[in-house]
Amino acid sequence: MNAPFPRLRPVASGALALLCALVFTALATRPAAARSDKDWKPIDPSELGAAAPTVEKDADAEALFWEVYVDDSQPYELSLRNYVRIKVFNERGRDAQSKIELPYYGRQQIKDVAARVVKPDGTSVELKKEDVFDRTVVKAGGIKVKVKSFALPGVEPGSVVEYRWREVRPGSADGLRLAFQRDIPVRAVTYYLKPFGGMRYRPINMGDARFEKDKDNFYKMSMANMPAFREEPRMPPEDAVRSWVFLYYSDEKKLDAEQYWKETGRRYYEGFKDLIKPNDEVKAAVAGIVGDAKDDPEKLRRIYDFCRTKIKNVSDDASGLTPDDRAKLKDNKAPADTLKRAQGTGSDIDFLFAALAKAAGFDARVALSGNNDDFFFDRGFMHYSFLGSIFVAVQVGGSWQFFSPAEMYTTYGMLGWPEEGQDVLVTDAKEPIWVRGPISGPEKSVERRTGKFKLSEDGTLEGDVSIEYTGHLSFAQKEYNDDDSPAEREKTVVELWKSRMGAEVTDLHIENVTDPVQPFIYQFHVRVPSYATRTGKRLFLQPAFFEKGVEPLFPTATRRHEVYFHHPWSEDDQVEISLPEGFALDNADAPGALSGGELTKYDPTIAVTKDGRRLIYKRKFYFGKSDGMLRFPVTSYPSLKNYFDEVSKRDGHTIALKQGAPAATSSK
Amino acid sequence: MLRRINLFALALCSAALLAAAAPAPRTAAAASEDVPAWLKAAAAATAPAYDKRVNAVVLYNERSVGVEEDGRVVTTTNYAVRVLAREGRDEASAHALYLTDGGKVRELKAWLIRPSGEVKRYGKDETLDMALKPNDVYDEARLRVISARDEAEAPGTVFGYQSVTEERTVFSQDGWSFQDDLPSLLARYTVTLPAGWRASGVVFNHAKLEPAVSGTTYTWELRDLPPIEQEPNSPTMSSLAPRLAVGFVAPDAARGAMNPSFGSWQEVSRWLSTLHDPQAEPDDAIALKARELTADCKTELEKIAAVGRYAQAVNYISIQMGLSRGGGIRPHAAAQVFAKNYGDCKDKANLMRAMLRALKITAYPVAIYSGDRTYVREEWPSPDQFNHCIIAVKISDETQAPSVVTHPTLGRLLIFDPTDPYTPVGDLPDHEQGSWALVAAGGDGQLLRMPSMPPEANTVERTADVTLAPDGSISAVVRQRAVGQSAAFGRAVFKGLTSSDYQKAVEMWAGAGATGAKFTKIEPADSRAEGRFALDVEFTAAAYGQSMQDRLLVFKPAVIGRTGTGWLAPPTRKNPVVLESQSFNETARFKLPAGFDVDELPDPVKVDSDFGSYTASYEVKDGQLLYTRKLVQRAATIPAEKYAEVRAFFGRVRASEEAPVVLARK
Repeated sequence: MNAPFPRLRPVASGALALLCALVFTALATRPAAARSDKDWKPIDPSELGAAAPTVEKDADAEALFWEVYVDDSQPYELSLRNYVRIKVFNERGRDAQSKIELPYYGRQQIKDVAARVVKPDGTSVELKKEDVFDRTVVKAGGIKVKVKSFALPGVEPGSVVEYRWREVRPGSADGLRLAFQRDIPVRAVTYYLKPFGGMRYRPINMGDARFEKDKDNFYKMSMANMPAFREEPRMPPEDAVRSWVFLYYSDEKKLDAEQYWKETGRRYYEGFKDLIKPNDEVKAAVAGIVGDAKDDPEKLRRIYDFCRTKIKNVSDDASGLTPDDRAKLKDNKAPADTLKRAQGTGSDIDFLFAALAKAAGFDARVALSGNNDDFFFDRGFMHYSFLGSIFVAVQVGGSWQFFSPAEMYTTYGMLGWPEEGQDVLVTDAKEPIWVRGPISGPEKSVERRTGKFKLSEDGTLEGDVSIEYTGHLSFAQKEYNDDDSPAEREKTVVELWKSRMGAEVTDLHIENVTDPVQPFIYQFHVRVPSYATRTGKRLFLQPAFFEKGVEPLFPTATRRHEVYFHHPWSEDDQVEISLPEGFALDNADAPGALSGGELTKYDPTIAVTKDGRRLIYKRKFYFGKSDGMLRFPVTSYPSLKNYFDEVSKRDGHTIALKQGAPAATSSK
Repeated sequence: MLRRINLFALALCSAALLAAAAPAPRTAAAASEDVPAWLKAAAAATAPAYDKRVNAVVLYNERSVGVEEDGRVVTTTNYAVRVLAREGRDEASAHALYLTDGGKVRELKAWLIRPSGEVKRYGKDETLDMALKPNDVYDEARLRVISARDEAEAPGTVFGYQSVTEERTVFSQDGWSFQDDLPSLLARYTVTLPAGWRASGVVFNHAKLEPAVSGTTYTWELRDLPPIEQEPNSPTMSSLAPRLAVGFVAPDAARGAMNPSFGSWQEVSRWLSTLHDPQAEPDDAIALKARELTADCKTELEKIAAVGRYAQAVNYISIQMGLSRGGGIRPHAAAQVFAKNYGDCKDKANLMRAMLRALKITAYPVAIYSGDRTYVREEWPSPDQFNHCIIAVKISDETQAPSVVTHPTLGRLLIFDPTDPYTPVGDLPDHEQGSWALVAAGGDGQLLRMPSMPPEANTVERTADVTLAPDGSISAVVRQRAVGQSAAFGRAVFKGLTSSDYQKAVEMWAGAGATGAKFTKIEPADSRAEGRFALDVEFTAAAYGQSMQDRLLVFKPAVIGRTGTGWLAPPTRKNPVVLESQSFNETARFKLPAGFDVDELPDPVKVDSDFGSYTASYEVKDGQLLYTRKLVQRAATIPAEKYAEVRAFFGRVRASEEAPVVLARK
């Protein structure tokens, strides 16, 4: 993604920038589109008479335009003047567009609210000033969240509603995100921007959209026919698919990404170097921690486990600290403080890990990457805020490896999924470098499930289950459960299995919920009435116990956004079912394997013991590999859906047991 | 009609706001000196052992109300709860409700007593002040909240609070629940009235309870209340928990600013009529619109339906002001609502009434409780029992509709809810059917039982023509026709989603039993005026039936699921089971693949009970399988003692709907 990165104004650093800004401010004697409250832009009869939307055919309402004047020309104040005109097509649109709420808080102000409704016959109803309510939604300790709200009068299908307001807030447009996609489709979104000076911008998912010079010192960017933004399951982070523009100020004279990030890497190095510096106490401690470790990886593992198991992570929601406890915590100013107090924030723990590694003779640095949970970073996004994840790089055997003991449940040798597979900036005093971080393959994140059951004549299945998670899957289970009480965790499991198949779960044990090192494990006894369906002379049984009642992954035929799986994973099931006396397999067969090249494989097998009394079902599945992110464009959705539908169907494979039939001796 | 105010879930952002504004904690020693005696005593109380699912116990719950002749009411609440398990930490929360117009919170303070005995005190700095209904355009009802949730995780923690609120009100009645789902060791309501006044109270969901009286102070008290378990298909909490309704009766000369405490439903009716009737005057614009809407209508019912549709289309917007003076009950003038084309339930009912009046059709506002048909009790005449307003239209004998009731003096009344956008004239939302409601018709007003529709008035008829191939794939043509509340449900889904989202929703519903189904037709048809909703669906699904070594072919004839009462899994139960009135009827024809014979058919099913019936049958003829199933479910509240019967009924229905057909190759 190397979209152009134009500047709004010629590069002007320091005094020149300020001078330019003052000149622009002085020239801007009146807003570009100043008009009285009663001035509304004329409505084209074709807009009033429009019977159907143009951007999205099934839209209930469509903004004909949405204009925002962003005036950042004043040193300490930002003004955003909005004007939106919406055509209402049906009752849903009427309901959604009749009530307007403009929230604000702190020192923000909402001013100059005006609205009107133009009915299909051309008559209009203005909003009266007394019908605009200013109310405090919530207030605490002097902080208020307020809202100006009003109901638009006389809205009906076919109406055009329009309203304006001005938001004034302290500060500047630095870091401001301009939304070009809203919750309804918009025919024309236009931002007019008057910057203070030295402003840059980055359009996201908008091609080569550019601000162009407009009148009265404003710059203008416009986009046509913007669809409404809607979320979908398993989509990339919202900011990675939505259309928006990032505004920021910078004094950089050159726009070379390599140079920008080198300078940033140097600054970070300087900023962090004292925080990861081992003092004598840290140096003295490291010997006891690494002990008799035979090699470098073993030394690092011991340091990593020490940081996760011996240092309390006070940032973790499962730390058991109350707000009062947190208020009493002292800041750790150096790794030695974290070591001495045996507790620290996530960052403290990362820094201690780096300091211990350095004390053990390793080259350790602070490293940064984007966060795939928020945004897909590339180096073209030249703003430090896009590198949202900080962890530790250690040189081992001539290459950089990455560690984040701050993430309590991250397996040694892995990063969290939001950081994996990205460019990582390894800080340095002189030559920071980019290193491609690894992706943990499907064998690192395994759901391993075993079940040993007995099937009764009436179709009841009863037995013992064990489910174990590793890697990212273990991380997710621990994070989901660690803040819950044992009773809440039990309830989660009981309800899940009940909803899937009406199972009664008892004797539940959940192991290693808050253990940073060991895999997460569920073990329980289960009884499922009517698991197998009984007919007059047969029982029909789904051997894939762990997949029974699981919804298809992609139930809908169409898709708007690309599909994004956070990480590769695999599943490994073994189910053993003792068959009821007097029943034997009746024309049983196995569903067969499926393969998707190197990306995925599904391999179920069914067998019976020689005496014909026990059915043994095995299922192996993996998805993803370690050399690429799991992102699939919309065009590949049908084949992806077909694959998972086929897996789901084969998981639903049923075998028949017939009463009085001779026992089968083997089957595959 | 929204005077009745319920607490709503607290916004998550509140915690963040408080964290941002959090002051330094007070010292434990200073806080413990401040703990009131009642809280110290409550914290020392011993509670019985409860089921492990009970997460907290209320130790002390006292509301003391002081009424003054000028209409000022001062309410003091003392409340203490002990957290028994971490999941009960949400109970460590204090609230005080007030109205910005004429009300205030004089005091709200709280204490947390940890199991160690350490005390933390909460006051103004930890108090949130928030809108009770943040989504209303304006609502003067607000809430002050103190939450100690994050400090109350340890079992044994006791949280207590004291609030004092003041209100100037015209209402001379009050309602109070002795408990919610939590057990309670002590629940006490006390009211102190001016000299010469008396209190009159009634307790619902409990044996008769007389107050202790001392002068003009009346006290109702219950102790050792057990927990109330919430179960599926259960009556609402307001039908299970003991609750008190009390009126403050003044000598006529001393009533002051307050309304009378109503002695009969006629009195309530008269009072409501004084608020409603002046607002229902049609102006010329309303009259013109009413005539325009009904210009082509030939019958009385058609006219009412046309006006009803217009009222339904008025935007629902809630603006609540002057609540303590009855602002929550008095509608805005019909002319104003007509001009703005928005309003709340009472505004819609009132506008419809004005339009009908312009057509010389008489109608009355009806006060009802929306969402719980068992909430309103006949024995307590009070406007405080209602939260919603609908309409009763006086009709002639020519008009026939299921939602008609007969009033002893007003005659036949057609009941209609113009706030529900999906239920047409002639039907009534299911949660209002069978409830008590007050027809506000001055001295003729009376509490009436709202009509209940029979199962056949709320029904789904479905046909399915399915062709089954030897490999198990199917092509299916499904036609579904719904009437009554089933149609309203289908309409609500259809109207509530965009067409693409609706298509996805139908695909997920109809394809739930046929993974990977490909839909070639999804065609809804809404006939709102007739109360019907139709949906035609066509799809194919590979491997719907499972082929076993090419010798057996197994499939379930219930291709698409049925909405409604599902399987009642728990073997035992404490509360009654509430069933809605509905029926379902499906006929499915399967064209069987050549070369196969039917090897096994499920047994036909016929189950009858007081609350319903279910039949399923299978017939094979000329290479076709005819599968029929029919469920009739009558509205009923079945006592817990009969739960086994209900569970067995729905267990048999479920087993039947899961049963497969087995075909064998010839």
